[in-house]
Amino acid sequence: MTAVDAERGGVRAIGAEAAPTRFARGWHCLGLSERFRDGRPHAVDAFGQRLVVFESGDGRLNVLDAYCRHMGGNLAEGTVKGDEIACPFHDWRWGGDGRCKRIPYARRVPLRARTASWTTLDQDGLLLVWNDPEGNPPPPEVAIPRIEGATRDDWTDWVWGETVVHANCREVIDNVVDMAHFFYVHYSFPTYFKNIFEGHVATQVMKGVRRPDVRPPKAGEGGRVMTGNSSVASYHGPSFMIDDLTYHYDTMDVECVLINCHYPIDANSFVLQSGIIVRRGEGMEGTAADETATKLAAFIAMGFEQDVRIWKSKTRIDNPLLCEEDGPVYQLRRWYEQFYVDVADVRPEMVERFEFELDTSRTTEAWQAEVEANIARRAAAGRPA
Amino acid sequence: MTVRRDDRLADGPGMRPVRCDRCGAGVEARKASWQQTSVQWTAAAAAACAERRAAPGGQDGGLFLGCEALRASITRAALDGALVVPDP
Repeated sequence: MTAVDAERGGVRAIGAEAAPTRFARGWHCLGLSERFRDGRPHAVDAFGQRLVVFESGDGRLNVLDAYCRHMGGNLAEGTVKGDEIACPFHDWRWGGDGRCKRIPYARRVPLRARTASWTTLDQDGLLLVWNDPEGNPPPPEVAIPRIEGATRDDWTDWVWGETVVHANCREVIDNVVDMAHFFYVHYSFPTYFKNIFEGHVATQVMKGVRRPDVRPPKAGEGGRVMTGNSSVASYHGPSFMIDDLTYHYDTMDVECVLINCHYPIDANSFVLQSGIIVRRGEGMEGTAADETATKLAAFIAMGFEQDVRIWKSKTRIDNPLLCEEDGPVYQLRRWYEQFYVDVADVRPEMVERFEFELDTSRTTEAWQAEVEANIARRAAAGRPA
Repeated sequence: MTVRRDDRLADGPGMRPVRCDRCGAGVEARKASWQQTSVQWTAAAAAACAERRAAPGGQDGGLFLGCEALRASITRAALDGALVVPDP
């Protein structure tokens, strides 16, 4: 027990260390790769630095520290010339490998003309960068899995969104285990909830039903009535979650893949992103899947706003006080810590498999009563459910 | 960033050893109620688990949702009283 935990007069104290100044080791998605393929350099604030992203003439996407090692010019304001980014200040040319290739007005490039570069991955339409404070290359076992639907014609294109959140990114990670907030913050109704942490992967398995007090059981477009959803969502490393998400309707299922990912800007802010693709097929002919993807993306954006409203006003807490109907917050954070220590300091308990299946009998009973009370109150007020 | 202890493990039942009836893998388990279960595996237990080996992707790091034989063993341990399940 640390001093900050000390309880005086039975009062529980909130403990919180400062957010780590180190940034997580792992793959981080910067967004849709096509966004960076316009022949121009792009500034991205990430990992406490300013980066420049540019597509070189060979079609590769490159990520460098934005500031030129010559006189500090901002490469994001420069120009792509062939396979290099040219600094706007003195036209020094930098390659995607971080080496200065050429100084047009000089006979030779000086020694030590190397800047920081990030390993990139352009996969399934997404640009990812590997961040490692130790400077090691990405090990193959932490590769981001392929998302089959992302490159198939029978799935929609990505509908992508992003927002800047002024909080430490641990807040979004905590959602992995936080079943109750889905009811109170997002107005959904989880009826099954399980977490599995193993290696660099943290998974949330969730099933839910529609809340009749929030979404009345009227038939939506196509005459379908939503009944619930099933979701298997895994963080592959510290920041990139793939969610195989199915919405159940009375007449059909709608299959989606949802990406929920982020990258830290600094210790106290991050860019939160979501992407969704929807499977075409029976009941999803023509543009129906595209329209559904657009609607779901708006729904997810609303969900982010609901989270952000909480994060903006809450305090950081290292010692949450939990009831038995809460998820494994401490074990999740133990898993998450592996990305903030050197590889040599990753302890077995951070990566060993841990499972937690929540008892939803009490939550279902309490929430069912609350839903019914909401409907009754509205009926009494003369409004339809 | 030091991760603290989950007080629930001290205030309620703790994690207790359970051995799988099928493959003998030793894990630690806890039941806060009949419907709630926590399972802490070790690398050795994961290597010993027969269902995990047989599961698609179980060996190459794909998602293994859980072992049914272990689940049954944990239920049996709870019924036997080896795992104490608090009264509701």
